[in-house]
Amino acid sequence: MLRYVARRLLLMFVTVAGMVTVVFFLIRAIPGDPATYMLGDYATTEAVAALRAQLGLDRPVHEQYLGFMRRAFSGDLGSSVVTGQPAFAEVLESLPWSAALALAGIVVAVVVGVPLGVVSAVRQGTWVDMAVMLGALAGISFPVFWVGLASILLLAHEVRIFPALGASSSADPWVQLHHLALPALVLGLSVAAYIARLTRSAMLEVLGQDYVRVARAMGIPERRIVFRLALRNALIPVLAVIGVTFAWSLGSAILVEAVFSRPGLGSMVLKAVFARDYQLVQAGVLVLACAVVLVNTTLDIVYGLVDPRVRVG
Amino acid sequence: MTEVTTPRQALLEVKGLRTAFPGEDGPVVLVDRVSLSVHAGETLAVVGESGSGKTMTFLSVLGLVPRPGRVVAGEVRFGGVDLVQLAPAELRAIRGAGVAMVFQDPLTALNPVFTIGDQLVEVIRAHRPLRAAAARKLAIETLERVHIPDPSRRVDDFPHQLSGGMRQRVLIAMAIALGPKVLVADEPTTALDVTVQAQILELLAELRAELGMGMVLITHDLGLVAKHAERVAVMYAGRVVETCRVEDGFADARHPYTRSLLGSIPRLDGPPGEALPAIEGMPPNLAALPPGCPFEPRCFLGRGRETCRASRPGLAATDREGHASACHHWSELAEDAA
Repeated sequence: MLRYVARRLLLMFVTVAGMVTVVFFLIRAIPGDPATYMLGDYATTEAVAALRAQLGLDRPVHEQYLGFMRRAFSGDLGSSVVTGQPAFAEVLESLPWSAALALAGIVVAVVVGVPLGVVSAVRQGTWVDMAVMLGALAGISFPVFWVGLASILLLAHEVRIFPALGASSSADPWVQLHHLALPALVLGLSVAAYIARLTRSAMLEVLGQDYVRVARAMGIPERRIVFRLALRNALIPVLAVIGVTFAWSLGSAILVEAVFSRPGLGSMVLKAVFARDYQLVQAGVLVLACAVVLVNTTLDIVYGLVDPRVRVG
Repeated sequence: MTEVTTPRQALLEVKGLRTAFPGEDGPVVLVDRVSLSVHAGETLAVVGESGSGKTMTFLSVLGLVPRPGRVVAGEVRFGGVDLVQLAPAELRAIRGAGVAMVFQDPLTALNPVFTIGDQLVEVIRAHRPLRAAAARKLAIETLERVHIPDPSRRVDDFPHQLSGGMRQRVLIAMAIALGPKVLVADEPTTALDVTVQAQILELLAELRAELGMGMVLITHDLGLVAKHAERVAVMYAGRVVETCRVEDGFADARHPYTRSLLGSIPRLDGPPGEALPAIEGMPPNLAALPPGCPFEPRCFLGRGRETCRASRPGLAATDREGHASACHHWSELAEDAA
């Protein structure tokens, strides 16, 4: 198990290095000179040259690359052109908002999706199953921003259970959670729909396996069979998908953040793109990508805990 | 261990058991009025082609018929009660503890994400209110009984770390952990190497003697019957077509189907290059059985005969004691042998 974890961590390091490289060259692949772009059409040649020197764009590419790598791994991703603040610090400031939303969304998705999927598999073909699957279809079909708006209208305006704004500057964690609840529900329920469907089909497959028949023949109670012996097997594909969903929910978080006027990485990167603040975009994308890699590595390790067969690989 | 049981007292007695699945044109009967009995310290072999209802009979006994099938008639006497009439919870308490079953493919019969110890403990604690440590101790002891080397270390292995033969031993351990009265082994060696097969059958025989169990050996390997069973029931199209004691009559069968089966065993001392006789035709479609004998279209004795086409023969006594055959013309086979 320890060797498995070490391998995963090494792989994570390689992935991050690869991403830093991709981000670096992607920025440089954009046609035109970044400095000219940032300063606009009326910039003087001297100003452009000065900015190029400041950004290190006047040096050869391989030198820039090595410098960028070195600085990136020491946490220096340049400064925002708009605010002059270090880009990494800016990103770190909005990261907790997004991380909290995405994490809360995943928690909602798992807590709601997995039990619904299990129930619907066990009660396959009954009205319970149909109701859950119909609900899941709706959850997948409705766009997240529409559900967000509808929920604000319903649960924040008509029935005033939740605040309409998705964030608060209060230091009280309960107030923060109260503000987070509705956006997390909106984000989580769309993922929950997906997880419920996946859990259902995984569970149905597992319940048809020989070892479940053996467990029944040995007189193990059905409840034990479903929630312990079968569920652990069914969770393997679900876990694999949670990693992918996390990347997806960070993306959807941009929409949810916009609907609920919530600060976060998504809205920050969006603003930076409009402002052509490349350093900030670069830093934002990099941190987002790192977050996804980190979550997937964590899941890989959990995966190894759940399924003994992957530890060897 | 000396278990005192009168040999005629059956541990498990199946009477007129009938299991059916709903079909498009009425119910499809997979097990048709099957009657069998299992005695202490004795092995009953149940033989027949694939789809003849061997496994389904014993899934019916344990109340494990997959939906939408169900037992529609008959009784299963075990320990003074009729298992067919029991409530699900009562039947669950008997499964594994009173009547246990070992299945065909040990590679898929163990849960891949739990250690074999966990799986044994799960079975033990489903039936006995033991603490985790005590259950684990019993699990290790049971592994020792099925001759798994170094059981206190092996108990923490996952199924994929064990060979096929070892896995079958683990499954047998799960089945005998609670000291069942009857052990049903459903083709326990079909998926294993020949050398391992012999070891597993030896183990089963040893455990049978040690625990005084009654055993059912479901198989399509007639070679095993003579060596490992005292009595045999031959099944065809969901019915028992012949039952007899192995020592006085299996080789000298009173049913043409059994005769044909015996004829299609390859022999090392047979003439080389000769084609193996196979039973002509296909097993019948259970959804559309003819009104007469289901074996009639394939039968060397009765094909085309009016009696065989018109009426379905029931299991009836033959000239030998304890030997029954479901054939109108069994006496012709007896004359033949004489």
